[in-house]
Amino acid sequence: MNACYKSVWLKRVVLILAPVIAICITLFVGRYSISVPEVFRAIFSDSGSFGTTSREVNTVLWQLRLPRAVAGAFVGAALAVSGAAFQGVFRNPLVNSGILGVSNGAGFGAALAIVYFGGGYYNYFFAFAFGIMAVSLSYFSGRIYGSTPTVTLVLGGVVVSSFFGALTSILKYIADPYTQLPAITFWFMGSLASINYNHFIAFVPMTIGILMIYLSRWKINVLSMGEKEALALGVDTKFYKLVIIGGATLATAAGVCISGVIGWIGLVIPHIGRMIVGNDNTKLIPVSMSLGACFLVLMDMLARNISSSEIPIGILTSLIGTPFFVYLLKKTKGGGWR
Amino acid sequence: MNELLKLENVSFSYPGKEVLKDISLTLNTGEILCLMGPNGCGKTTLIDNIMALHRPQSGTILLSGRSVEQYKRHMLARKIAFVPQIHDITFPYTVKEIVMMGRTAYTGFFGEPAAQDEEICMEALRKVGVEHYADKPYSQLSGGEVKMVLLARALGQRAPLIIMDEPTAHLDFKNELIFLQTIVELCRKEDIAILMVTHAPAHAFYFESKGIKIRAAMMHDGVITAYGVPSDVVTSENIARVYGVKARIDVTTDEEGRAIKLVTLFETL
Repeated sequence: MNACYKSVWLKRVVLILAPVIAICITLFVGRYSISVPEVFRAIFSDSGSFGTTSREVNTVLWQLRLPRAVAGAFVGAALAVSGAAFQGVFRNPLVNSGILGVSNGAGFGAALAIVYFGGGYYNYFFAFAFGIMAVSLSYFSGRIYGSTPTVTLVLGGVVVSSFFGALTSILKYIADPYTQLPAITFWFMGSLASINYNHFIAFVPMTIGILMIYLSRWKINVLSMGEKEALALGVDTKFYKLVIIGGATLATAAGVCISGVIGWIGLVIPHIGRMIVGNDNTKLIPVSMSLGACFLVLMDMLARNISSSEIPIGILTSLIGTPFFVYLLKKTKGGGWR
Repeated sequence: MNELLKLENVSFSYPGKEVLKDISLTLNTGEILCLMGPNGCGKTTLIDNIMALHRPQSGTILLSGRSVEQYKRHMLARKIAFVPQIHDITFPYTVKEIVMMGRTAYTGFFGEPAAQDEEICMEALRKVGVEHYADKPYSQLSGGEVKMVLLARALGQRAPLIIMDEPTAHLDFKNELIFLQTIVELCRKEDIAILMVTHAPAHAFYFESKGIKIRAAMMHDGVITAYGVPSDVVTSENIARVYGVKARIDVTTDEEGRAIKLVTLFETL
């Protein structure tokens, strides 16, 4: 019993430390070469107040690499956790964090800001607001007889997604092809390049959303048994569905609004988590959080290093993640799927 | 006698369609009630009403003397457990994880089952005889074994009333018998009542031959047309009237010489 207790704590420590280690690693790697001793000097000299590190080094470390890495960890965790939660609640292992239209809604918001308001900080507000709005629309269009069955809800999500996709296409059509159109296109490929400390405000809704899901993690198991069984097992399905969907929407919208659309993570990271710890969401949710954070931080490190100009991170996540996923699938035999 | 469930003049309709008409039933602890009736006669709707998934337009459903509508969801789950007819396997949870879900009603608002719940679940798995599968994904079990796991989940819920919706549908006759034997064992050892929707007329006779207190109810178009001991309810006349099937009831003996009734179905009328 004692040994078991110890191993649980060990696992918790590993889960929390892994993203922190990933963030630390990225501090050392970049196109502006900073030697390892310099990084340590910068870290331990109280932000350079002793004058031991140059201003360039300090700027690159504290203003560029660190905020990017931290934001990457948050966004990765938010997308992975939302994906895991949606898959459980909708009883569908094929859905991702964007299933209820949050990505396309946010994308339209960003495009609207780019075309009519000149981008800038409007991007984030519009993306966040339209992301939330799209999910609300899905939720209410999926509502029949005062309840929201999973099928109509997901169907509502698909329909609303394509609606906002069409609206975005209109904006792309009328956008200036030399300035605005590329901005919109790049937004849909995702990037953490412009992140600075001002964006950290988005961590508030992300943290709230992740926390809502984390607290309901056992109920996700029960909800995945289906509406009737979940009710018979004593779960107020309406309430918990709202908490979980609300949490996932908040987290994803806040993540997407600072990073743009980053696919793959919300769909596949939860499955990688399942191969490692099984299907129980009390374990899967924290593991997805940690995996998603590590994965996006490391992918972002690659995105800013493997070529002379930045590669959009949404491209890298699926380009590198897919072979990794296939490898895991072969190795674990998928873990019980028939 | 401990009156666990009491339905008084329950009527329920979906918009534009009357499904349950003036239904009255009682079920005591230690008893089995076999609910029979053709497809679409309202059996599942009746169950849904008892589990407070629907609210009857008139009449009362009392559980331990209190209307089921007054129970909070988790409190009701401590009183009524449910074994579904069809269970879609979406994620390959382990058998133990599935049974642990039966403990949900005893966890906090944002809580999860604890170590003592695990012992209760292992005990439930032992009772139905599938404890050796505890760590196996339940997606890899046979249909009969999955039913046993779902029964264990209901037992882990520690509810005095277990509702089963055609629990032996899709099982081969051996697994069906294993399921029925397990129910007989449970009725003898535990203080529970079982409401079982079934299509097999022989089920009621089986329980009767094992000396379990049993009543049968036959339902037709939302009305209970016959209600009482199986010999009075499962008769060739009632089968003809309710199902429209010509049948004969014979008496044979089991290997220990006890009388057991046999239903033979001939043709539709």
